Amino acid sequence: MSPEAAHIESSCITEACTEEYSEKKREISSLNFKFPGELLFKISGRRKGLKGQLNRGGIFLFVFFLFMALFPSFLAPYAPNERFTPYKEPSWDHFLGTNDIGNDIFSELVYGSRISMTVGFAAALVSTLIGAILGICAGYFRGALDELLMGFTDVVLIIPKIPLIIVLGAYLQPSIWILIPVLGLLSWESTARVTRSKTLQLREAGYVKSARCMGFSSWHIMSTDIFPNLYNVLLPKFMLATASAMISEASLSFLGLSDISMKSWGTMLSFAFFRGGFIRDMWWWYTPPGICITLCIISIALIGFGLETQGKEHVREGADAM
Amino acid sequence: MFSISLRADRLSKTYEAGLLSTGKCIFREVSFEIRSGKTFGLMGSSGEGKSTLGRVVAGLEKATTGSVYYKGTPLTLMKKNEKIAFRRKVQIMFQDPTDAFNPRKKIGHAISEVLALLGVPEARHSSKTEEMLITTGLPKEVLSRYPSQISGGQLQRLALSRILLLDPEYIVLDEPTSALDVSVQAQILHMLKEVQTERNTGYLLISHDEIVIRFMSDSYGVLENGQLKIIE
Amino acid sequence: MNVSIVNTLLEVKDLQVFFKGIKTITALSGISFSIAESETLSLVGETGCGKSVAAHAIMRLLPSEARVKGIVKFRGKNLLELSEKEMVEIRGKEIGIIFQNPSLALNPVYSIGHQLAEPLCVHKKEKKEKALFMAAGALKNMGFANTAEYIRYYPSWCSGGMNQRFLIAASTILGPALLIADEPGKGLDRKRVSELETELKKLKFKNKTALLLISHDLSFVQRLADRVAVMYAGEIVEMADSSSIFEEPLHPYSKGLLNSLPEKGFIPIPGFSPSLSNLPSGCRFYPRCSLRKRHCIENHPDLKKINGRAVRCFLYP
Ligand SMILES: Nc1ncnc2c1ncn2[C@@H]1O[C@H](COP(=O)(O)OP(=O)(O)OP(=O)(O)O)[C@@H](O)[C@H]1O
Ligand code: SF4
Ligand SMILES: [Mg+2]
Repeated sequence: MSPEAAHIESSCITEACTEEYSEKKREISSLNFKFPGELLFKISGRRKGLKGQLNRGGIFLFVFFLFMALFPSFLAPYAPNERFTPYKEPSWDHFLGTNDIGNDIFSELVYGSRISMTVGFAAALVSTLIGAILGICAGYFRGALDELLMGFTDVVLIIPKIPLIIVLGAYLQPSIWILIPVLGLLSWESTARVTRSKTLQLREAGYVKSARCMGFSSWHIMSTDIFPNLYNVLLPKFMLATASAMISEASLSFLGLSDISMKSWGTMLSFAFFRGGFIRDMWWWYTPPGICITLCIISIALIGFGLETQGKEHVREGADAM
Repeated sequence: MFSISLRADRLSKTYEAGLLSTGKCIFREVSFEIRSGKTFGLMGSSGEGKSTLGRVVAGLEKATTGSVYYKGTPLTLMKKNEKIAFRRKVQIMFQDPTDAFNPRKKIGHAISEVLALLGVPEARHSSKTEEMLITTGLPKEVLSRYPSQISGGQLQRLALSRILLLDPEYIVLDEPTSALDVSVQAQILHMLKEVQTERNTGYLLISHDEIVIRFMSDSYGVLENGQLKIIE
Repeated sequence: MNVSIVNTLLEVKDLQVFFKGIKTITALSGISFSIAESETLSLVGETGCGKSVAAHAIMRLLPSEARVKGIVKFRGKNLLELSEKEMVEIRGKEIGIIFQNPSLALNPVYSIGHQLAEPLCVHKKEKKEKALFMAAGALKNMGFANTAEYIRYYPSWCSGGMNQRFLIAASTILGPALLIADEPGKGLDRKRVSELETELKKLKFKNKTALLLISHDLSFVQRLADRVAVMYAGEIVEMADSSSIFEEPLHPYSKGLLNSLPEKGFIPIPGFSPSLSNLPSGCRFYPRCSLRKRHCIENHPDLKKINGRAVRCFLYP
């Protein structure tokens, strides 16, 4: 290895090497999965004790919230904009009472999951895509492009995010279609860095070198040889980005910088606080969205951490199976 | 000079001093020639830069000074289409067969990708692949497997035959057998010899094993302290 | 053989390993061997015949999808029945292991010194400085001149050969009674291999460490091993003293293996070893054997003892 390469590698060795390891190992043990669900199952199955239970809990919760977001009509008794008597206490008809304009809070909560999770996942998708593309390009082409992109990454890294979004939100029409790209555009740096270091390492793999030698185009190599092998770096990053985007969304909505026509959990919280829920001590109004946000983020983060630590666990085992 | 040969002319490689590392000269003024149908062996202990030299000859890395001549033209002065031809005609095979195939592609996929690259029409892929399997002596079922489901020796054979699909004139063999066990090593070396007599391929064989080098090559050189000593 | 005189250190009886998956892979189908104190036993055989699996099964390092049966007795204790906690006590302290791939076995995020000192701190409760000092001593033994320097190095800064020696130093720093070396010479050049050989010999004669040596490099095995077990497709096909195997191999596979040695002119054995998920019911070497007979395909030969060696072949009644 060249001294220069050694230097680069030692600086990014933490993610890179551990990932490589889990890669090999997983290839041996389970050969042809492609489906994330199966992967999740594997993690939950393999772990024992407290950690495993936490993981399983995370997955269970996540599946529950996902179901809620995908099929709200199954759970919600009413449509979210149906009106009843305002400020009702919880009863059999209205599980969590009604709000200031008479919407059923429970239905609102169920439909709100859709907005919150859409923002979370879409923003994470944007940030992961940008991070992955920039990271792959930087890692694959190296040289000037690499330095440029990574310099740019550093610049983005030091932008104070929430204040910027608040400013943007104040000037632009508040809407989730603005929120998603803004959140996505401001949170790709860590994905880009991890992707780059992993790409630097994959670039030295025999199959990439032989593909280069056989004359495959850079695009072909990046998309079929490098990108699929980044999968177990990107998936946890994606989950963690989702969690953090949901937090940002909730905080912004709470500050009132959200689209009122699309009520997310954060918007509900904000309404509960500013439209009398707090003063009237209607805990059934302001606590449920808070709990939902917390649980949902915890579940997603748990999955993300589970995926992330998976590689490291294997290194600790210290065995090379083949 | 033979115009058809692959020639390394006074190659030197120095790694520039970086922020944290001091510069390092890997080899200096190395010249040799590979003729078609012949094998040039390159010997030397690990860390002497044999693999770097191999990569430079295969055009994967640039030399600091000196150049590689293919059919009389130096690599650095090649036009685009000449460069593409060079890419096809000079191939490299690596030490670790488990690393030679993308772990996420089935073998069959990896092979047909190469065929697509060569512009072979889709309809002829299966017949071409079958032809290739006959030269490797492997059963057809390997095509539907992932690289991790196949043994090292079989992978190395597949790697070699994938390279042969491109019909190269020269192959740089970077320690082709040092990751394999003795019986598989014997199989691969014999396969390489067969291919050479059949197709008149020129090899640059890099190995630290003197016996392998002597067994395979027509002439060889020893890389020591950055200098190449040629032994006929 | 002097095995009967000396105490057996490790005894493996009918060790079987299966990997559950889409198809069950029989990686080991009942192997038995024993290692006496300060004896070197070598496992040789083609890739994928289960040598590494055997080593990992002994150390209980196999992944969770592996099913292990049999007995592995180390100093009277069956390792397969110990709890994970007791096993941790044994790993490193009583049985050391060197892995096939040094760059994977060394943790890239810690310095060499840290990784050498850690077992001392954990097992022997040494102070950090003392442990580092001892680590430096161990490196000196491995033939490193500038030990103070190397202590601060990271694995990625060093060549494969250096890492291999670090790894030996790390696995022997606690003075284990048995060292399992899985392909210690892999990827190293001649010079490094001969250095490695001196190191292992030193361990063997000076420290009286027993050695389970797994290697492809038959000449390396010949110089180091007291006894050799030849494995093929998950079973032992021949076991004998090192000298008798190399002078007069009995099993057709052992013969073929020796013929593919460089000195004999790289004569290959035709064909490939059988897939472990679909093993033939007869002799496993049948498709490639030049001396095969009709009944070899139907019956599975047993490991039979003749003149102090064991062979699994119908040619030897
Ligand atoms: N985790 C696993 N899951 C399924 N099969 C496995 C696993 N680990 C090993 N095997 C299989 O067990 C068999 C024996 O492997 P092993 O690594 O012991 O071979 P080996 O003799 O050490 O080969 P080499 O000489 O290449 O090191 C192989 O066929 C391998 O595919
Ligand atoms: S039992 Fe028969 S087939 Fe098997 S090794 Fe002996 S002679 Fe060959
Ligand atoms: Mg092994």
